[in-house]
Amino acid sequence: MSRVVSFEGLWCVFEHRSGQLVNALHDVNFEVQPGEFVCVVGRSGHGKTTLLRVLAGLQPPTAGQIRLGEVVVEGPGADRAMVFQQDTVFPWLHVRENVEFGLRALKVDDEERESTTAHWLDAVGLTDFADSWPRELSGGMRKRVALAAAMAVGSDVILMDEPFGSLDYFTRRNLHDVLLDLWEETQKTVFFVTHDIEEALILADRVILLAEGKLVDDIPVDLPRPRDEDVRASSAAVDITKTILAHLGITEEEATQV
Amino acid sequence: MTSTDVLDVRAKALREKRRRRIASIIYIALGITLFFVAWVLLSLEASPWHYDIPPPFGAVGPFQDILQGVWGLFQGEGAIAHFWRNLGTSQDMKIKFVHACPDLHPANVNNPFRQIISSLMGWKYNADNLLPGQPSPVPIGQLPDYCYGYGIHLLVTIIRILIGAALGTIAGLAIGLSSLVFPKVAQVFTPVASFFGTAPIFIAAPFFVIWFGVEVPIMTTIGLVTFYTTLLMYFFSRRAAENIPVGIVESALTLGGTPRSIFRWVYLPGTVPEIAGGFRIALAGAWGLGVLVEVLGIQVGGGHLIDIWRFLIGQLQAPSALVALITFYGVLAVVVDGILLVLIRYLTRWSEAGRRLGL
Repeated sequence: MSRVVSFEGLWCVFEHRSGQLVNALHDVNFEVQPGEFVCVVGRSGHGKTTLLRVLAGLQPPTAGQIRLGEVVVEGPGADRAMVFQQDTVFPWLHVRENVEFGLRALKVDDEERESTTAHWLDAVGLTDFADSWPRELSGGMRKRVALAAAMAVGSDVILMDEPFGSLDYFTRRNLHDVLLDLWEETQKTVFFVTHDIEEALILADRVILLAEGKLVDDIPVDLPRPRDEDVRASSAAVDITKTILAHLGITEEEATQV
Repeated sequence: MTSTDVLDVRAKALREKRRRRIASIIYIALGITLFFVAWVLLSLEASPWHYDIPPPFGAVGPFQDILQGVWGLFQGEGAIAHFWRNLGTSQDMKIKFVHACPDLHPANVNNPFRQIISSLMGWKYNADNLLPGQPSPVPIGQLPDYCYGYGIHLLVTIIRILIGAALGTIAGLAIGLSSLVFPKVAQVFTPVASFFGTAPIFIAAPFFVIWFGVEVPIMTTIGLVTFYTTLLMYFFSRRAAENIPVGIVESALTLGGTPRSIFRWVYLPGTVPEIAGGFRIALAGAWGLGVLVEVLGIQVGGGHLIDIWRFLIGQLQAPSALVALITFYGVLAVVVDGILLVLIRYLTRWSEAGRRLGL
């Protein structure tokens, strides 16, 4: 059952060791429709991950709330599975058991659990590696395991915190395709945190821009899919890139120097 | 990577594995040789410990020709030969130590299994019939032969130590891991464990003997080993759980993990490598601790043999097999540790995965 995700007056304040208060999130308000692919973009330390952690229920907000439909988020749950930046597959479980973890926790019966696991392993192309240990896999394959585990648990909303940040360009592009295929098949709502503008252009329906904890822009990405090099070089895509860079306080000259 | 490359990597990994295995065998052989060289040197007449430490090999027993005939080094029976000859039954003990093993008297227990259990309990005969230090009223020859052997004492010690270590491990893990789920357990137990943890256990050992007495070895030997293992396993299990990356636990939570499923599928398997390492350390300490407590006055066990040998040296001029006993426990500890290592490798095969192919 897909539900609207609403961020309502969300504040998240941390106390720095020096005693100074830091506004990680500053009165964030927006709504995400079911099945949307939202990329949250911003500089490091500007609240992207905090936003995702509050949505995951791993971090309580200082003020405000997040609602999934009518339900207020009060803690972590299988309806908001998360794929992390760091390696979080369980190294002591086989690939199959990793994908099964959430289903076991939810006490899904054996037959359904096995068929669901087999389906998602196939969907991410890991059927032949079901009985492997995670340490026998490459970094990209481990991300596929994490993705399959998040999908298998049947979440309405998938949260991804710079999941492909540590991977090489080719593996990352390959995983973008896998993710988009899964998203198109399931029509789940995806929140994808990234600081890579190209990645946002490839994936997103919408870009939420955060700067110093504030939502500074909400940019629709109306580019045709699949978004190959030609699409990303179109004037519409370049305009979006310029808008994002401007909000991040980076001029075109600086961007090309980088 | 082509299939030829994979085969190359595999062959290289296998060569490396073989090299490591050969190196470890050489190290073990070197260690054993050094041990015996040190033993022989300490037992030479020029050594100040000559009277306490008999030579490992003598005119009787293995290598007698080399040691006596060729080198002319030692006379009489070597410690290892003495130890081996007296393992099943010992005439010296039969003559001089009728009461060495009163808890095994057939009047109290009527089959070998119960005799062992009875000796483990250690209270039955002593509590009913014998004051500490009082000679046994049991007539010579009424006890089965093995009651006069060294073997029964060693067996009793091994069983006590393994029982103590097993109980301590269960208790330590139960308290340590449950303290992660129930913080109040940690609040209560951590100060207690920290307090006792600061006192070296070998210093605490005599207090245990004073508190519980020597007539109740279940409370002294087993109790002390249990106590020591519990403390160690509590700290190791907590540290192991704390070392599990927060991200992994958070990932489990967002996948719908309940405290129970996270405990079963995350904490339990994830802590195995460190807990297993802790258990090996605890068991290594437990061997020494168990024997030490027995030396302090318990009437049955390997430690008690040390007391007997002191007497044997003085009264009978028989060689002390003390070093042989130490060697026996050393070998036993290495064998048990080896078995544990195989078991641990099986339980933590996931952590070795990938390394095998050099990935």
